[in-house]
Amino acid sequence: MSEGSSSPDFPQHDEIVNERLVRWYFYMALTFMLISMLGGLLMAAQLIHWNPLNGIEYLSAGRWRMVHTNAIAYGFLANSFLGVLHWVVPRLTLRPVLSNRLSYFIFFAWQFVVLSTAAGIIIGPSFQDQAWVAELSKSLNIAFSLGAQGLEWGETPFWIDPVAQLGLLLLAINFGSPIFQQKGPMYVTLWYFLAAFVWTFLTYGMGNFLPEYAVPGTSAGAIGGLFIHDLVGLFVTPLGWGMMYYFVPIILKRPIWSHGLSLVGFWGLAFFYPLQGIHHFLYTPIPMFLQYGAVISTIAVELVVMTVIINFIGTVWGATDIFKKNIPIRWFYAGMILYFVTCAQCALQVTMTFQKLIHFTDWVVGHAHLVMFGVFSMWIFGVMTYLFPRLLKREWYSNTLCEIHFWASFVGVIIMFLDLMFAGLFQGFYWASLQPWDVSVEVSQPFWVVRIFAGLTMFGGFLCFLYNLFMTMQSAESTETAPDLENKTAINYQVMDH
Amino acid sequence: MFESKAGIFGIAGLGFFAFAFISNALVPIWMYKELPEQTVEEVVNARVLSSFGDLKQRYPEQFDKYFDAVDVDNCAEALRLGRQVYIGEGCWHCHSQFVRPVSNESRRFGPVSETWEYQNALQRPVMFGTRRVGPDLSREGGRRGSDWHAVHFFEPKIVSTDSPMPSYPWFFEGSPDKPNKRGLAMIIYIQWLGSWLDEYPYYEQLEADQEEL
Amino acid sequence: MGTPSTKNKSTTAATLSTWMTVGLALLILVPSMYGFVGKFLEFIHVFKGESDGAFAIAPMLNYTLATLGFMALMIWAIFNGMFHDIEQPKETMLENEERFDNRT
Repeated sequence: MSEGSSSPDFPQHDEIVNERLVRWYFYMALTFMLISMLGGLLMAAQLIHWNPLNGIEYLSAGRWRMVHTNAIAYGFLANSFLGVLHWVVPRLTLRPVLSNRLSYFIFFAWQFVVLSTAAGIIIGPSFQDQAWVAELSKSLNIAFSLGAQGLEWGETPFWIDPVAQLGLLLLAINFGSPIFQQKGPMYVTLWYFLAAFVWTFLTYGMGNFLPEYAVPGTSAGAIGGLFIHDLVGLFVTPLGWGMMYYFVPIILKRPIWSHGLSLVGFWGLAFFYPLQGIHHFLYTPIPMFLQYGAVISTIAVELVVMTVIINFIGTVWGATDIFKKNIPIRWFYAGMILYFVTCAQCALQVTMTFQKLIHFTDWVVGHAHLVMFGVFSMWIFGVMTYLFPRLLKREWYSNTLCEIHFWASFVGVIIMFLDLMFAGLFQGFYWASLQPWDVSVEVSQPFWVVRIFAGLTMFGGFLCFLYNLFMTMQSAESTETAPDLENKTAINYQVMDH
Repeated sequence: MFESKAGIFGIAGLGFFAFAFISNALVPIWMYKELPEQTVEEVVNARVLSSFGDLKQRYPEQFDKYFDAVDVDNCAEALRLGRQVYIGEGCWHCHSQFVRPVSNESRRFGPVSETWEYQNALQRPVMFGTRRVGPDLSREGGRRGSDWHAVHFFEPKIVSTDSPMPSYPWFFEGSPDKPNKRGLAMIIYIQWLGSWLDEYPYYEQLEADQEEL
Repeated sequence: MGTPSTKNKSTTAATLSTWMTVGLALLILVPSMYGFVGKFLEFIHVFKGESDGAFAIAPMLNYTLATLGFMALMIWAIFNGMFHDIEQPKETMLENEERFDNRT
C-alpha cells in the first residue's frame, strides 16, 4: 500500500521471521509455566499441611520448589523471550538471524538444558550417596552434586552448566549478527537486547562456576548476590523492557514518547543495576561498606525506573480508552503498574531498617512473585495474546477467555503479593519478639491459605488461556490477513488524535 | 560512542559489568585472602567426631553398613554427602545459616555469624539461605540429640506437632531407627553446624544431660 | 500528541497534568527521601564512629567517581555531535512495521 513497499530491498516478513520457531518456543514456554505452577501449588499445599503427596521422594516439595523457580526463569521466561526475539529482532533490523540451522540447534539445546535441569533436580539427590561421587568429590575437593547446586536460580546441575553456557554464546552470536549488521542509529529495543546478550552470558558464567569451584564463604555470598540480582536485572529486565519498547508503540501505532529518555533509562540501568547484588545479603558477614554501596545504588536505580515509567505513560497519554478493548495493551500497562509497585517496594525494603524486619520472611517471596509473575509473565502473556492470532492465522477462539485470563492473573497476583507482604510483617515481628518459633509458623497459616487460593486463581486463568489456545488451534484458519485482524481489536489512535 | 553498537557492547555490556564485579566481588575476595579456605577434613572437630561416634552407638548395624570407622576421613565423607543432600532436598530454601546482629537473633540462636566460619569447602557455595520457614540452623549442632533428628526427618509432626516441614522417609530403611547413608550424613551435617564455636553453651548442656542419665 | 482544539480544554489538561506531576512526585520523593536521608545520617554515624568506618566511604567514592567519569564522557559525546538525531529510530521503526504488515 505504502510507496515504500515497492522498494526492492525491503524484505518480506516470511523471508526473515521463522514463525515456526516462535510458535515452538511459545508452546515450550507454556508447558514449563504449567509445570512451574504445579510445583508452586505443591509447595503451597505443603505449608498448609495439605499435601497429599508428602513422603513421595520424587514429588518432594523441597525439590519441586526448585523446579518451580527454575522452570519459570529458564523454562518460561527464557523460552518466551527467545520466541519474541525471533519475531522482533528480524523485523527491527530487516535482516534474518545469522543461521536458521543454528536457531534450530539452539532451540533443542535449550530444551535439553531446561529438561535436564528439572530431571537433575528431581532425580539427582536420590543417587547422591553413590561411592564414586564421594570419591570424585574428595579427590577434586569439589562438592559434586548430582541434583541441584547450592545457589538460588543457579541450581542447574553442574554437568548442564557448560551446555547452557555454550547455548547462551551461540544465541548471542545468532541474534547479534543482524543487530551488528544494521546501519544507522538503533532503536532502543535493540540496545537492550544487545546488552542483554552480553550480560546474560557473563552473569550465567559468574554464578554457575565461581561460587561452586573457586570461591568459598562470604565472598561466594557476594558473588551469589550479584548472580541472583543480575539474573533478574541483566537478563530478564532488559529483554522485558526491550520487548515493551517494541510492542507498545506498534500496537498503539504511535511512537514512544521520547526516545532520548528511553536511552537515559538504558544507561542508568546498565550502570546501577549490576552494583546492587549484595543487597540480597544485608547483615551478613559481607563487609558493611559493600552492603551500604549496594543499598545506595539500589535507591539510585529506582529513579531510573521512574524515567522509563514516565516515558510509557507519556506514550499512551490521551489514548487510554484503548485499555478497555485491547487486551495486550492492558497486560502491558498492568505489568508496568506492578513494576512501579515492585520498584517502590524495593527502594524501601532494601534499606537496613526494613531488612531488620522483613529479611527471610514471606515479604520477599511476595516481592519475587510480583516481579516474576506480576510484571514479566504478564508482559509475556500480553505478547502471546497479541502474537498467537498472527502466528496461527486465526482469531482467538474466545475473547471472554482472554479477559478471564487477564483478570484472574492480575487479581490473583495482587492478592498473593498483599497477602505475603502482610505475612512477612507478622513473621518479622513474631521473630523479633522472641516467642517460640512455632508461633510464627502458626500465625502464618491463614496467610498461607489465602496464598494458595490466590495461586489457584492465577492457575485457573492460565488453564483458561491454554484451553483457549487449544480451541483456537482447532478452529478453521481465518481468511483475514494479520493487519485486518488487528484493526478489529485495536483502534487506530494515531488517526483519532489528529 | 553511546550511540554505537560497540559502545553498548563494550561500555554497558562488558565495562559496567566488570566494574560491578571488581567492586562487589573481587574486593571481598581480596579482603579475605588472609583467611584461606579450609578443607572438609580440617573442619572435622572433636565435637562433631563425638556426634559421629554417637551415631555408631545408636545405629550400629546401619553405621557399619555405610562407614568403616569413626575417624576424620569417614566423618568428612559424611559431611560432604550431608551437605549435598541438604542442598539437593532444598533444605536451604526454608532454613538459613546465618545469625544476624539484629532482630534479637543472637538471643534466639546464638552468637552472630562471622566471616571465618564460612571459609571452608562446605560453604562453597555459601549456604546463607534465602527464607526462614523453619529456624536458622547455623547454631543447631548439639542442640538436640541425633535420635531426635532421625525421628524429625522421618516424620516432623511426631516431634514438632505443627511443623509444615515435608517428611523424608527416603533417608531411612523403613523406620526411624534405620537411617540409610543419606540419613546418617544429614544428621551429622546438622550436628556439625555451629560445632566450631568454642563458646557454645548447648554442647555443655548436652554433655551435662548425658552425665545425668 | 494531539494539538488541543480549544483553550478551555488545554487549561483543564494543564491543571490535571500539574496535579498528576505533584502527586507522583510526592509519592516517589517522600518515601525515597525518607530512605535516603535516613541512610545518609546512618552512614555519617558509621563514618564518624567506628574504627573501620573510613572504609564505608569507599563505595561512595567508588560510585561517585565512576558516575562523574561517565557523565564527563556523555557531555563530551554530546559536544562531539552525538545525540543530534536521537528521536529518528522510533519513527523509522513504526514505518517499517507498517511496510511489513501492508505487504501480503
